[in-house]
Amino acid sequence: MAEIVCVLALSHAPGLTGWLDQAPEDQQRRLLDGYRKLHDAFQAAKPDVIVGIANDHLLNMPVDDTADFLIGTAESWQGPAPWFSDWLNVPPYKVRGHRALAETLMREGPARGVSFRASDRLLFDDNWSVPLKFLTPDYDVALVPIHMNCIVPPLPSPRHCHAVGQAIAEIVRAKRPAGERVAIMATGGLSHDPGGPRYFAVDEVFDRRFLALLEAGDPDRVLREVTIDAMAAAGDGGTTELLSWIVALGAAGKRPARTLCYEAAVELRCGMGGVVWDLTPAPA
Amino acid sequence: MRSRAGKFSLTIRRGCISFPEMGIADVDKSLASNRMVFELRRDEAALERFRADFEGTLTAYALSEAEKVAWRERDIGALGKLGVHPYFLPQIARLFRGGAYNHNRSAAAKLYAATVLGEKD
Repeated sequence: MAEIVCVLALSHAPGLTGWLDQAPEDQQRRLLDGYRKLHDAFQAAKPDVIVGIANDHLLNMPVDDTADFLIGTAESWQGPAPWFSDWLNVPPYKVRGHRALAETLMREGPARGVSFRASDRLLFDDNWSVPLKFLTPDYDVALVPIHMNCIVPPLPSPRHCHAVGQAIAEIVRAKRPAGERVAIMATGGLSHDPGGPRYFAVDEVFDRRFLALLEAGDPDRVLREVTIDAMAAAGDGGTTELLSWIVALGAAGKRPARTLCYEAAVELRCGMGGVVWDLTPAPA
Repeated sequence: MRSRAGKFSLTIRRGCISFPEMGIADVDKSLASNRMVFELRRDEAALERFRADFEGTLTAYALSEAEKVAWRERDIGALGKLGVHPYFLPQIARLFRGGAYNHNRSAAAKLYAATVLGEKD
């Protein structure tokens, strides 16, 4: 059986690569230190493939045709899509895909109540381009991208997202070959509201409460307290990207997360941070 | 879906009264502008046509007169009120003012703030 060697979640806001110099200098330093810690935790686990979960920013699924989850089945990917190139300020990159793993998830998901739409031609924006630049600067770890609907109601419920994470972990462990080392990487959040009423605001109180809940290691409490309404009140067009973190939480199981970075980055228009779940002890 | 007051409430920001809140629950999924922005970001040829033939592109996507007026006036707030997804609104600002170095005082962010929030430069 394959092994899940790392579960983490981190913000992907484009300001981190596009206009970081606008943030106060001490905050720039803390952000770069924090993302370096996320890099180190990720690399220490020596994953050979990432199952990524992130919001589709209306780039692959139009507002009138969204699926809850859209999985990428190609053997190779490239990014960023041209429209995002100058905005993100990242050079073009290529990364391997992993069709066999994507197909295993698609095949085994429905028996566990999880279905995926599939595509072999996904466009990438900040959702993968920002985290990959920091976690895998050499783009040498394969990626199975799962795009999800976080911003077109009706959204998948937190409870369903948690179940999707549980199913992904179960399938990887039960159906993938021994020796395969899988990282689960959720990207998005924390509080932000692209284009909405809170576009220029960050809700630090919400963010710190959310991170503290993850650190408490009690998924039931997360699901009770982090409702879609609670996320929406902190920015309804962006904070709901934390649904991807709840997928990661489902994959991690009943374990505490550790916050490696948090900054209320107003100049980046986003609460920026990242957590890793400690996978060493057996889940309770 | 939304825990805040309804869409006709006023938001207070930086001490100014700004326009009625519009969130993701207020999107008109059938609005032609939503299809147009979706495709302009995906398709470089479509983006080139938009830049070369603005009026022709608005017509090709079958925008309503109200949508066309908002696009001509670069009134991003009006597009939001017509039902464009909030996520697209800053991207429309970037269509007009460029996407690079998109910080809070960039030309694109200022266009958003002026036409959506009614802020003076």
